[in-house]
Amino acid sequence: MELLQCIDLNKNFKKKQILKNINLSIPRGKIIGLLGKNGAGKSTLIKLINDLLTVTSGQILINGKPIGVESKKIISYLPERAYLDKGMTVDKTIKYFEEFYENFDSEKAYKLLKDLGLDTNQKLNKMSKGMQEKVQLVLVMSRKADLYILDEPLGGVDPATRDYILDTILTNFNDGASVIISTHLISDIERILDNVIFIDKGEIILTAEADELRNREDASIDEIFRRMFKC
Amino acid sequence: MLKKLLKYDFKSIFKVLIIFYILAIFFGVLTRVFFSFKNSLVLEILGEISQGAAISMMCSTLINNLMRMWVRFKGHFYGDESYLTHTLPVEKRTHYLSKILTTVITLFVSFGVIFLVLFTAYYSKENLLFFKNLLLPLAEIYDSSILGIIALFMFVLFLEFLNILQCGFTGIILGHRKNNAKIGFSVLFGGLAFFASQIIVVAVLFGIAIFNKDFMNLFVTNTALSMETIKSMIYISISCYTLVSVLICFVNIRLFKKGVNVD
Repeated sequence: MELLQCIDLNKNFKKKQILKNINLSIPRGKIIGLLGKNGAGKSTLIKLINDLLTVTSGQILINGKPIGVESKKIISYLPERAYLDKGMTVDKTIKYFEEFYENFDSEKAYKLLKDLGLDTNQKLNKMSKGMQEKVQLVLVMSRKADLYILDEPLGGVDPATRDYILDTILTNFNDGASVIISTHLISDIERILDNVIFIDKGEIILTAEADELRNREDASIDEIFRRMFKC
Repeated sequence: MLKKLLKYDFKSIFKVLIIFYILAIFFGVLTRVFFSFKNSLVLEILGEISQGAAISMMCSTLINNLMRMWVRFKGHFYGDESYLTHTLPVEKRTHYLSKILTTVITLFVSFGVIFLVLFTAYYSKENLLFFKNLLLPLAEIYDSSILGIIALFMFVLFLEFLNILQCGFTGIILGHRKNNAKIGFSVLFGGLAFFASQIIVVAVLFGIAIFNKDFMNLFVTNTALSMETIKSMIYISISCYTLVSVLICFVNIRLFKKGVNVD
């Protein structure tokens, strides 16, 4: 059984169609890049998978079941914005995750935060945007989830920290779990991708294995992307 | 999960309400102290000021109770924090119940604090006697004790606040469905929900009045109603209002379970 399946998925906002007939299967144990220009529908698709939007038509199945409490237990989601209670300290946020997610590993979280030199007694509203994003990533990657969904994980982070974050992603996800990374910073994440999904104007225009695509086109994923989406 | 949600909701609400509780009690004590000194104009003026401050703190307690719950509801289910709320492995119904239970309990506590402030500021044998004499005729009409009348009054007040709060939730849910970021629709739908809840109660009373001549006098004449009729009407209205509150709760849960569209 596939980890994630989207079947004939459509999403409209009023009369505008944002996602058109998306059919998608995400297997286990893969790192998948969800790539597309700004406004292509990446975040909409991710929000639908995470129950933040309602489906207009079609179906989303996680382990063969519709989205619900059970699917939320096994999906670890990093949104593209600061979403934690900023009045809390990092310590209290860890406690919060510990209470609500059975698969949260607080030891791992503390270790990763220490590696990043983040003070766990500090309140989130006293931290810079970049620091808050690092805390969020650590919390998300400290869950033993089956599916990690990371929406623009490198967006607000300096280039020097990007490699550390990618290594954190690579070394911290569960065996047999899959990771979906949505970004337009393709050159930064290219090295870790197993599969790629290109999305444009709400439609999936390409799904392929990263190595196979590179060999076939004799170019990097970044170059292929630039070629395909040239303005 | 409900217990865990309640813990965080209480922390968030009481963090601010506690300040109003302390201030209300503080001004209640000051009122009592200043009014206990006779023959001093300055202390009498200070007593009046403290009394005004205590009353405004008591009102602020209730207003803050409502406002903070609405703000928390909106922030949690439609703001940035909704990205965490909706991805927690918790049923939508449990999320909603947590907000309602938090409101019910904080309202009880707020009423308790208000009662304590009033007691601290004004308790004396003379005041108690005056109060008893004021409520005694009412208690006799209702075949109840004075405490029973106070409890009934508090219950009606509590129901009213609960209804206002829930209609606010309905407004937020429907407002976001209609137009994500605009608060105007939330206020409009909240107001309409409140208006509808009042209409339902009046409609039920009218429905009963069709089969009851005494009740019908309220709608078709301006003659004074008998005490027995007024008593029955009040009990029916309270029962009906309670049912309307439960109905709004079910409607909100149903609307909420249909899913959200977070911006």
